[in-house]
Amino acid sequence: MIVSETGPRDRIVGVLRWVIFAVVAFVINLPILATVMTSFKTNGVINTSPPPLLFEPTLEHYIEVLGSGRTDFPGYILNSIVIGAGGSLLAVAVSFPAAYAIARHGVGRSWLLPLVTNIRTLPLIIYAIPIYLMYQLIGLLDTWTGMILIAATISIPVALVLFVGFMQDLPIDLDEAGKLDGASQRDILWKIIFPLSRPILVAVLFLSFITCWNEFLFGLILTTKEAVPVTVGATFFVTSYGVKWGATAAAMTLGILPPLILGLFAYPYIGKGMLSGAVKG
Amino acid sequence: MRPWIDRARFGAGMNLQQQERRSARIFLVSMCVFLALILGFPTLANIWFSFNEVTFHNLTGDGFIGFRNYRIALSDPRLWDAVGYSIKFAVICTVFEVGFALLLVFALHPLLLRRPWLTAILMIPMMVSPALMGVMYRLILNEFVGIVPGYLEKLGFTLNFLSLKYIQFTVIAIEVLQWTPFAFLILLTARQSLPYDLEEAAAIDGATGTRFNVLVVLPLIAPAIIIVSFIRFIDSFRVFDHIFVLTGGGPGNSTTSLSIYIYKIFFKQNDLGPAVALSMTLLVATLALLYFGLKLAVRRDPA
Repeated sequence: MIVSETGPRDRIVGVLRWVIFAVVAFVINLPILATVMTSFKTNGVINTSPPPLLFEPTLEHYIEVLGSGRTDFPGYILNSIVIGAGGSLLAVAVSFPAAYAIARHGVGRSWLLPLVTNIRTLPLIIYAIPIYLMYQLIGLLDTWTGMILIAATISIPVALVLFVGFMQDLPIDLDEAGKLDGASQRDILWKIIFPLSRPILVAVLFLSFITCWNEFLFGLILTTKEAVPVTVGATFFVTSYGVKWGATAAAMTLGILPPLILGLFAYPYIGKGMLSGAVKG
Repeated sequence: MRPWIDRARFGAGMNLQQQERRSARIFLVSMCVFLALILGFPTLANIWFSFNEVTFHNLTGDGFIGFRNYRIALSDPRLWDAVGYSIKFAVICTVFEVGFALLLVFALHPLLLRRPWLTAILMIPMMVSPALMGVMYRLILNEFVGIVPGYLEKLGFTLNFLSLKYIQFTVIAIEVLQWTPFAFLILLTARQSLPYDLEEAAAIDGATGTRFNVLVVLPLIAPAIIIVSFIRFIDSFRVFDHIFVLTGGGPGNSTTSLSIYIYKIFFKQNDLGPAVALSMTLLVATLALLYFGLKLAVRRDPA
């Protein structure tokens, strides 16, 4: 039972908790709130000090960013969608069968699982240089393929940990029943485990997509023009459109929206994934 | 009872299991090949490069020069400044993030138990790309159009958070504001997994409110605190995105973390050797740290 708060003192404590929640929620989300508001303000309103809280909203910055043809922003968004979707699908495709081998047959549990989960803790800059040189040699610099391979790589550790954790909780009787019916390991994986794993598959796809979308370092180093993702493209905005705060704010708002929407569904798994990575790794 | 049949069945089961284990290896192949190509091959190439003279125009590296790249890389005093900065940054951020998260768990746990959906509002910052977060702070802290200096001025304070005087504080504050939610989420999960009747049982012994939180909850969620501190330290130590967007490592080298330092020496000089040697050194150091960290963690938690 939860200790109930009913007395006058308890009611004050209850209100205080709400106040703390409201202040914290406001402070940590302030940059997002302010940026979204700025994106709907006319240039005149943006340059008013202090920034007004009430104003007539305008879509002019969104039209400039997306529809004027004067920015490459729609291209950045397309790049991020392709890289995010390709990277997360690839990560799932290689880590799901591996998780089956680890969770159901214990193969590689002692060395592969810790090895892969530790990739997450390495400073990415270590790999930025050799991968840049390798991509230069084989012509993958500034391509979707090159970025998708990187996106998958950074998504695999958390995907693997979440899959292994999920499959361990599925009753082993399912496999035994399948075996009695003469199912091969491949059948058990794809016809029994896979359909049951739908919730975790969706969560992992969402999380991987967020990870890929938010990645910055490799995008900065490995792309220049054709495959630039939103995170890198948005910083071009600041330098080349320095004073155009409205357009920059509209670009930011569009750049943070997809992970925010997916994240609202997937956030309970973020803690789980990272925590189990640290515990088991 | 016919024990010989059971024994026979048991023996056959072992063989079958071994056979299954062997054939299950096939499911690991695609992931192992993939990681070997993307991470394993560059690591080997890196080792080769680090002992050779390499430039952007001569990538085969034809002159073996022993440890010279390592000597050049490790004797640069700016490297040690960057290492020092990264450690300082990571320690300060971890202490504040975990500290704030702990206080918030104490303060908000009862509220979030009744209204779990409120948690999602506090999780928003960690869904945002740190690079874009950096740009957004650049907007709201801007001394002319920013909302924060704008309202502070109205209250009588004139502060430029992006100026030389405050930039150190600002980059740390941004990291703390963005990642306290992560520490909070982990500690809240740990707090919520404690049994419900704990609070009542403790109340009978006279431990309520703050006493209950410090004397009962704190020791019980200590393992989660250690893990989350470890994760946040590692993530903050390799910080790159928001600092790069806000300051590019400057003014001077005052916010140059180790990641930014390596980026700079790689892309601003044609001499690749030292940058490669440095990334190899960092790889070995990180692996050693992880190895010993895990040994400690395993000793602490046999599960």
